[in-house]
Amino acid sequence: MKHILQVLKFEYFSCIKSKAFILTTILLIATILFMTFVPAIISAVISGSEQSSEEGKQPVIAIVNHAYESDETVREAFTAAYQKDEIRISQEDLESLKSKVKDGTYEFAILMETPLTYTYITKNNSLMSATDQTVNELMTTIYRMTSMTELGIDQEQAAQLLTTRPAATTITTDVDQTKNYFSTYILVMLQYIAIVMYGQMVSQSVVSEKNTRAMEMLISCAKPSHLMFGKVIGSGLGGITQMILILSVSLLSFHTINMDNAFTRQILEYVNFSLDTVLYAILFFILGYFIYSFLLGALSSLASRSEDLNTLITPVMMLYVAAFIVVLMCMNSDQINGPVMIVCSYIPFTAPIAMFVRIVMSDVSVIEVIISVCVQLFSIYLFGMLAAAIYRIGVLLYGKTPKPSELVKLLKEQHKNRQALKKRQS
Amino acid sequence: MSELSFLTAEYDFDGNDGIEKRGIAVELSVSGVVKNFGEKEVLKDISFQARSGEALGLLGRNGAGKTTTIRIVMGVFYPDQGEILIDGKPINRKKLRLGYLPEERGLYPKKLISEQLLYLAQLRGMNKADARKACDRWLDRMGMSEYKNKKLETLSKGNQQKIQLAATLMCDPHIVILDEPFSGLDPVNAMLLKEVIQEMIDGGAVVLFSSHQMNYVEEFCDDIAILNTGRIVKAGKITDIKRSYPRDRIEIQSEQSEKLIPYLLEKMGGEIFSADTGKENHHTLLIRLKDASAKNRLFQTISQSGFDIDSFHVCEPSLNDIFVEYTEAGI
Repeated sequence: MKHILQVLKFEYFSCIKSKAFILTTILLIATILFMTFVPAIISAVISGSEQSSEEGKQPVIAIVNHAYESDETVREAFTAAYQKDEIRISQEDLESLKSKVKDGTYEFAILMETPLTYTYITKNNSLMSATDQTVNELMTTIYRMTSMTELGIDQEQAAQLLTTRPAATTITTDVDQTKNYFSTYILVMLQYIAIVMYGQMVSQSVVSEKNTRAMEMLISCAKPSHLMFGKVIGSGLGGITQMILILSVSLLSFHTINMDNAFTRQILEYVNFSLDTVLYAILFFILGYFIYSFLLGALSSLASRSEDLNTLITPVMMLYVAAFIVVLMCMNSDQINGPVMIVCSYIPFTAPIAMFVRIVMSDVSVIEVIISVCVQLFSIYLFGMLAAAIYRIGVLLYGKTPKPSELVKLLKEQHKNRQALKKRQS
Repeated sequence: MSELSFLTAEYDFDGNDGIEKRGIAVELSVSGVVKNFGEKEVLKDISFQARSGEALGLLGRNGAGKTTTIRIVMGVFYPDQGEILIDGKPINRKKLRLGYLPEERGLYPKKLISEQLLYLAQLRGMNKADARKACDRWLDRMGMSEYKNKKLETLSKGNQQKIQLAATLMCDPHIVILDEPFSGLDPVNAMLLKEVIQEMIDGGAVVLFSSHQMNYVEEFCDDIAILNTGRIVKAGKITDIKRSYPRDRIEIQSEQSEKLIPYLLEKMGGEIFSADTGKENHHTLLIRLKDASAKNRLFQTISQSGFDIDSFHVCEPSLNDIFVEYTEAGI
């Protein structure tokens, strides 16, 4: 146990001090900050520039009305929507409007050809700006108001008819999948990347210890199983450290951000990490990580050179990719509680992703969760034991990678000798 | 000058660093060890003993099974049969400290030297404070203090070797296993290492020494065990082994060696098998007697001859000759 802790400490600090770790953490955090803050910054800059132009003179919106007889309805509608701006009804042609929008005389301009066709002239069409949608809504409203008035409904009634909406209440008996689809997707993706990344980190570190022959020294200081458990747990803790860093930065940045922004509001509506979701994500990351990294660590110990590594770990990696794809397909085809997903949530290789998705996106009974977690814990124990036995053989094996049949034979032999030795000693 | 200062640096071998001192003398026996890898029989019934305060030379050609034997002693491999005993009881590796310098050298090239030395010492059961002290002491002893916070890969091969030695010996081991410790060391460093090994032996460690450099083996080891194709083909004290050879070869140094031959042939012709001057040195006279018992008579004959004699001695087989004789039969 003491050895495991010492190896763990050494591997953990090696992991978090490694260039790869520092670089990916910085890059991921920078990406998250960029994605959350940049829209806010952009809109702040935009509104700032709007304000500065306001100081000099009132912004002007030019409207050329070829669609309706009266300009009043149009003016009223736009004035209501853009109270700070001057609404100028003009008779200019398209070219003149364009040049004036370009030189900043007009904030934007609208050329109404018929009641249902218009041209919207603006300097920049930003993703963050909702002006084009507002204009479109205004045009619709104007059309409907005018039409209704023509049909004999007075303006007040017409306005009421147009603004009244039915009040809706949605009751979801399970979990509202529309709301957490994206957050689940993001977490599954993160888990996938983290397991692949840290699993490979374990692989690489095993092979490099063998390659640099540091293993020869280590093996004389500690049991191979202790070395492996320490390494796997140490790198795993490194992974959790990174995950916690990234998740907390994203949670913090989401909560400190200026919410009054169309784009971020939209993101927040879909991306919504609740605390228990995050905790489940970490739990299933840990389970999945151990299942895969024990296998990867053991297989990597059989490689003598980094070139052999790919051949050895590809089958395990493929298994994981397949698990990931199956779960994503079920997520996308509304089969979250379908038979495939139910089976997948009890198979150790797929359970870490499948069960997590089912918990977050549907209503799963506690018993099911417990069974799935137990299955995973038991397979971690089994894989751990198996991996320790393979590791013992692998770490001092140089040259040709043994075939699976040879490996089984070596494992049996080792087991027999170990039992015999124990018997003799007792 | 500073290069040599570490040679005289005082080394507190039984230093009170809180490390348990090496206990009373122990005997390490490898008893009837058999090991197969699949179909391949690597060790067939290996037995030998080594005692504290002595070094045992483990000799054998490449692939003879030395490393496998060492790994079984270290507990890295399980033997198929046989066992490792300490004073007749199965070895408890938790109670003994073992230091192993593998033939394949290697540590973490990208890590700081102090970092990896501390790590290995702690894995061997030292607490952090003791490990730090031992690390400083051994780096100083090896003349490597200035490299403490350098990465291993920045050092020359010989210096990396010294770091590895420090890592092996840092925990003050009861049993020291050195596999080719002198390879790659310059003469000054070799001298330093010789001193360190001698101190280990004098300090009561069991030293297993595996090398192909016979001069070093002769220098340290009282006993040897020669392995060939997985068996011990010869084991025992070097002096006894040498004495066991017939003492019928005599080497005489004399300026008058060429005149001496006809004289001796005339006086003792019946007892001399052959007499030649040395190929490289004409003053050397090599005589092979038909029977070793004629040795003293030869000495008397020469001393009475009146020739000027510089030396007269029995030629013992070198360790190299013995090694070749026992291992030539092949792998």
